[in-house]
Amino acid sequence: MVQRILLGPQKPTSNLREAADAIATDGPVVVITAGWRDSEGEIEELRDELGRPVEDLMIYHRAEEIFAREPALRDLKRERQDKLKELQDLYRIRLGPTLSAARKLLRAEAQPELLKLEQRAAIAQVRALDRHHLRRIQSIHREFDLRRGELDLSAATAEREAVQRQVAGAGLVLIAGGHVAVLLNRMRLFRLGEELAKRPLIAWSAGAMALTERIVLFHHHAPQGRRDSELLDAGLGIVPRLILLPHARTRLDWRNRRRMSLFSRRFAPAACCTLDNGSLLHFEDARLLDARGSSVVSRTGRRRAMTPS
Amino acid sequence: MNPALATLTRDGAPGPEAVEAFFRDHDFPLVEPGNVTFVYRGAADEVILRRWISGFNTALPMQRIDGSELWVLTMDLPPGSRFEYKFEVVRHGGRELLLDELNGVVAHDPFGANSVCQGYGYERPAWTLPDPEAAAGTLTRLAVDSRAFGSRREVGVYLPARFRRNRSYPLLVVHDGSDYLRYAALQSVLDNLIHRLEIPAMIVALTQSPDRLVEYTGDPRHARFVVDELLPALGAAYPLSDGPGARGLMGASLGGVAALHTASLYPDRFGQLLLQSGSFAFSDLGHHQKGPAFDPVVRFVNSYRKSPFALADKIYLSCGIYESLIYENRSIVPLLQAQGMQIHFEEARDAHNWENWRDRLRSALTWLYPGPVWMVYE
Repeated sequence: MVQRILLGPQKPTSNLREAADAIATDGPVVVITAGWRDSEGEIEELRDELGRPVEDLMIYHRAEEIFAREPALRDLKRERQDKLKELQDLYRIRLGPTLSAARKLLRAEAQPELLKLEQRAAIAQVRALDRHHLRRIQSIHREFDLRRGELDLSAATAEREAVQRQVAGAGLVLIAGGHVAVLLNRMRLFRLGEELAKRPLIAWSAGAMALTERIVLFHHHAPQGRRDSELLDAGLGIVPRLILLPHARTRLDWRNRRRMSLFSRRFAPAACCTLDNGSLLHFEDARLLDARGSSVVSRTGRRRAMTPS
Repeated sequence: MNPALATLTRDGAPGPEAVEAFFRDHDFPLVEPGNVTFVYRGAADEVILRRWISGFNTALPMQRIDGSELWVLTMDLPPGSRFEYKFEVVRHGGRELLLDELNGVVAHDPFGANSVCQGYGYERPAWTLPDPEAAAGTLTRLAVDSRAFGSRREVGVYLPARFRRNRSYPLLVVHDGSDYLRYAALQSVLDNLIHRLEIPAMIVALTQSPDRLVEYTGDPRHARFVVDELLPALGAAYPLSDGPGARGLMGASLGGVAALHTASLYPDRFGQLLLQSGSFAFSDLGHHQKGPAFDPVVRFVNSYRKSPFALADKIYLSCGIYESLIYENRSIVPLLQAQGMQIHFEEARDAHNWENWRDRLRSALTWLYPGPVWMVYE
């Protein structure tokens, strides 16, 4: 059985030590801080917090070195990123009005038996759009993988296998937060999903999001006004049936019950689960052993405590 | 009349105890949706509310409640408005400008302090206040020997929290930088927005002219100083990102003119301009009425209006609707837009003051320098 712990942001206070004590494994501890991009590897604070030696896998920088040595791979990756970015822009064109229609119907007043069906249909349209978007993203990834397989990438392959061996030999893998797309891309590039699924893990914020089946970007108080929550990509799928919401306290508009209800219903049956500073979700395989400081957005848009299974 | 005040004065002049209790139980001025009531207490021959606004009557006489030393005035005020004021008290032939003793909200500027009227619904934005969770940047100084001015100029430099020499940072050059720090909470704003990932960690140069009425009015020496002297000095001292997209100029009032003028002389150097209540005076018909200090400003703005061109990628402008410059700002916006630049213009129910400029900084900075907040979950 594999132990996994998901945490919220580690500032202003860290509960990483508490999580590591709960897992209590032997063997080397490795960390992935690719989400920190240029700051990858600056793990002195993390080592102090944990009180154990920790080795950073440095996959952000190793990937940069691979791209420098393998320009064909770099170009292929750029092409994929450009496509994904463009696809995200196209998705937003439909997402805005589709969500707007659902919001209007949730606000509308009409005969209940008429309204209920229309509301349900509007939410189904949003869900269908999300599903369609995810399929399109996955086909772009598949195309990338196929074309990558056709390249002669001996240096990249050796590097990838070296990282996979480090993960396989680890007693505990930590995955820090940061830029969620960069983190996910680097973990994908090194094909770490399969190995990570077998190791004891502690992941926080973006690190935790990257382990789920679907990654949702959200911020109800974005600086330039309302922005619709959007599906970014499929995650590694190691933690199923959860949409993780780090920084929920500051990013979610709990006062707007309709908006929160739509959020919850849009991603059901996955549970939309908050991860704030101090949150701790402890899984043994898929079984939830402990759930502290975390809430689930209910179907009616209310905050409901997360409870162990 | 405000209902609480009406109750107090229902039976004529209130006694001293009733007045004290009234003052103790209420915040002043008395704010309601759509209006505000000012109250002054003291012996006087006349009391006038002096509002530091333009385009409206700035001097409004207050009425004495018969038999008392209470002077009151109720005026319309749209929700969310804010302006600064003083009481002008006429006594024994003399006139005195006084802060509103009943109102603890005071704003400071280089000329002193004013009482602040916050209309219904106005709240000081939380991101302008120090946040204990936000790591603070540091302020340091850089001396630049200026050949343009023939003197040494001290420039303040804001370095973001966790500044690292092995990274590169975008740059913002702020005119009247010390005033922005002192009166517009610029350091807290930068610390907070960087902490929230709403803007990237950036380096901010804080210039302060010893003679802004000359140097900020379209003086080519100032532009030369900023571009040919300050930028290289900053580049030598700090790790700055390359390219105009990573460089911006900012200023309020004449500082806005200085920023626009500098960008106009060096149109390929700055990707972003942040212009608040810019004094973009111009004259289409005859001579302008703003005094000789504005002659060079009018020459520059007239010339730009005659032959406009793109001078940055993005320009954010803001202006209060209770200041006369709203006319000049509204007038320049379509001109700038027509040059193909991205323009974002905001109007505020406020006047020509530092707190107006403070309250717009989040909107301005996050538009010009969007941070990674959407993608980053630390």
